[in-house]
Amino acid sequence: MHIPDAFIPLPQAAIYWIIAIIFLGLAIKWARSELNEDKIPLIAVLAAGIFALQSFNLPVSMGTSGHLVGGALAAIVLGSPFAAVFILTLVLIIQGFIFGDGGITTMGANILNMGVIGGFVGYYSFQAIIRIIKNTYLSAAVAAWLACFIPALACAVEMAIAGTFPLVPGLVAMGLYHAIIGVIEGIVTAVVIYLLAMARPDLIDSDTGVVTT
Amino acid sequence: MMNNNALIAVGVIIAIAIGIIAVFMASGDPDGLESSALVVSGQKDLTGLSPEDGDAETVGTGSYEYTSPMPDYSLGEEMGSTGGIIAIIIGIIITLLVVMGALYAIRFSKGSRS
Repeated sequence: MHIPDAFIPLPQAAIYWIIAIIFLGLAIKWARSELNEDKIPLIAVLAAGIFALQSFNLPVSMGTSGHLVGGALAAIVLGSPFAAVFILTLVLIIQGFIFGDGGITTMGANILNMGVIGGFVGYYSFQAIIRIIKNTYLSAAVAAWLACFIPALACAVEMAIAGTFPLVPGLVAMGLYHAIIGVIEGIVTAVVIYLLAMARPDLIDSDTGVVTT
Repeated sequence: MMNNNALIAVGVIIAIAIGIIAVFMASGDPDGLESSALVVSGQKDLTGLSPEDGDAETVGTGSYEYTSPMPDYSLGEEMGSTGGIIAIIIGIIITLLVVMGALYAIRFSKGSRS
């Protein structure tokens, strides 16, 4: 889902950058108020893991591959959509500048889609779903699917505004491919939360229902 | 329960393992966005295979070009999968250090203000 430079004209790319910077500012504010010494290793390790997962393009049939985004994972584990904004922004900066994955001018749009939209959709859908089905891992999986699918649709809309994709075929293609990628995203998100709950339940946000022992 | 150092060590080892598996196992097919670009530019059917020589960027309208030091998570063709592994490990370590550095910087700035 990393938008390359060529896909968005500069004036529009600038607007997405401005939105991204506003959310990054809020994410830094979140880090300043919520951070404690113990959470720093967890956030850093989550970021390193998300970087690794994003480099792994999994085949999803139909001549297409996809990798995980990790926005829902970061937001659920750390209990804030701003955690996703913070982590995904830094991961996207490293990917863009060092590995040419995602453009520089379009980085704002990528931060908006994967960090902001992915983080907020992942976090709030998890909060809503867990109230209904009371199962941490299933709720996280569904939230992660949504946090992959909805940003893909947002990306298709941005592509349509940019004049790069026609709207409906863009929505259909992006939606279809990411609906499948999202299934893998859901499974991996649930598994990672399970592993973290085994290793360090004390570091996981209490709203997840993971019991601290 | 794992202590913080063990959490970092285990986390980094798992991340590197995922990265190394990715170098060998990752699909060469275009990703969801590139694949969509091939569909809307008529180079690919929605559910069909991707063309070997498809160029997703033909739909592009922008003009900015940036050349990264390690494009596509590799050190170039001649370095092959070894280059890929080195690139991914560098990426994982940089990510860990940048995020930790940023978090400690934020924490430090908080400490000096209040």
